[in-house]
Amino acid sequence: MSEKKIKNIFVNGAISPSFIAESISRHATKTAIGGHSIFMGQIRRDEVNGKFVAAIDYTAYEELALTKMNEIREEIFMKYPLNCMHVYHSLGSINAGEICLFVFTSSAHRKPAIEACNELVERIKAELPIWGKEIFEDDTHQWKENI
Amino acid sequence: MKLEIISFGKISEFIHHQQVEISNVTNTDQLKSYLETSFPELADMKYKLAVNQNIIQSNQSLKNQDVVAIMPPFSGG
Repeated sequence: MSEKKIKNIFVNGAISPSFIAESISRHATKTAIGGHSIFMGQIRRDEVNGKFVAAIDYTAYEELALTKMNEIREEIFMKYPLNCMHVYHSLGSINAGEICLFVFTSSAHRKPAIEACNELVERIKAELPIWGKEIFEDDTHQWKENI
Repeated sequence: MKLEIISFGKISEFIHHQQVEISNVTNTDQLKSYLETSFPELADMKYKLAVNQNIIQSNQSLKNQDVVAIMPPFSGG
């Protein structure tokens, strides 16, 4: 069930726990689903040279990111028997402890949901043109690098 | 030829959104040399180009009015 229209994955600001809860509850009527897998990325209060990360400011090449995400979405739907796939990524300044990435996959049985969720997270981090600027508590910054 | 240059992440701190009029540049390899000469900080960094929203894996010819994005390694998620 590939989806043709390009979906927006970006949300301004943090992804709230209530949004995630509502997203889960919207699947109650989809009774063919037997398993959900969820990944949430949270801003870590990293310590670098004695300074702590207060927030990450995310920017993206949005048009390119959405086109790329659409390709990834179609490939994942081809590869795994999923009922649903939802991806949300924050833009702007997200404080330590807040959620900046929410990936949610659902399938009849657990394994496709778990494997698709994992592959999506890896591909989002590697392939989407999104950048995180780590803002320290003293307002200095450094650019994050994914490892 | 005229190109629109956009940049992201760390690179956006020293290369701002701009229109450039450059001669003797017809492909992305030549553009990289031009950029690394104009912005020496870029020469020491890993980066990729996208031309009109297509990420470039190998040298590609450029045409007037192309939009070229300069992108450091991604760090989403």
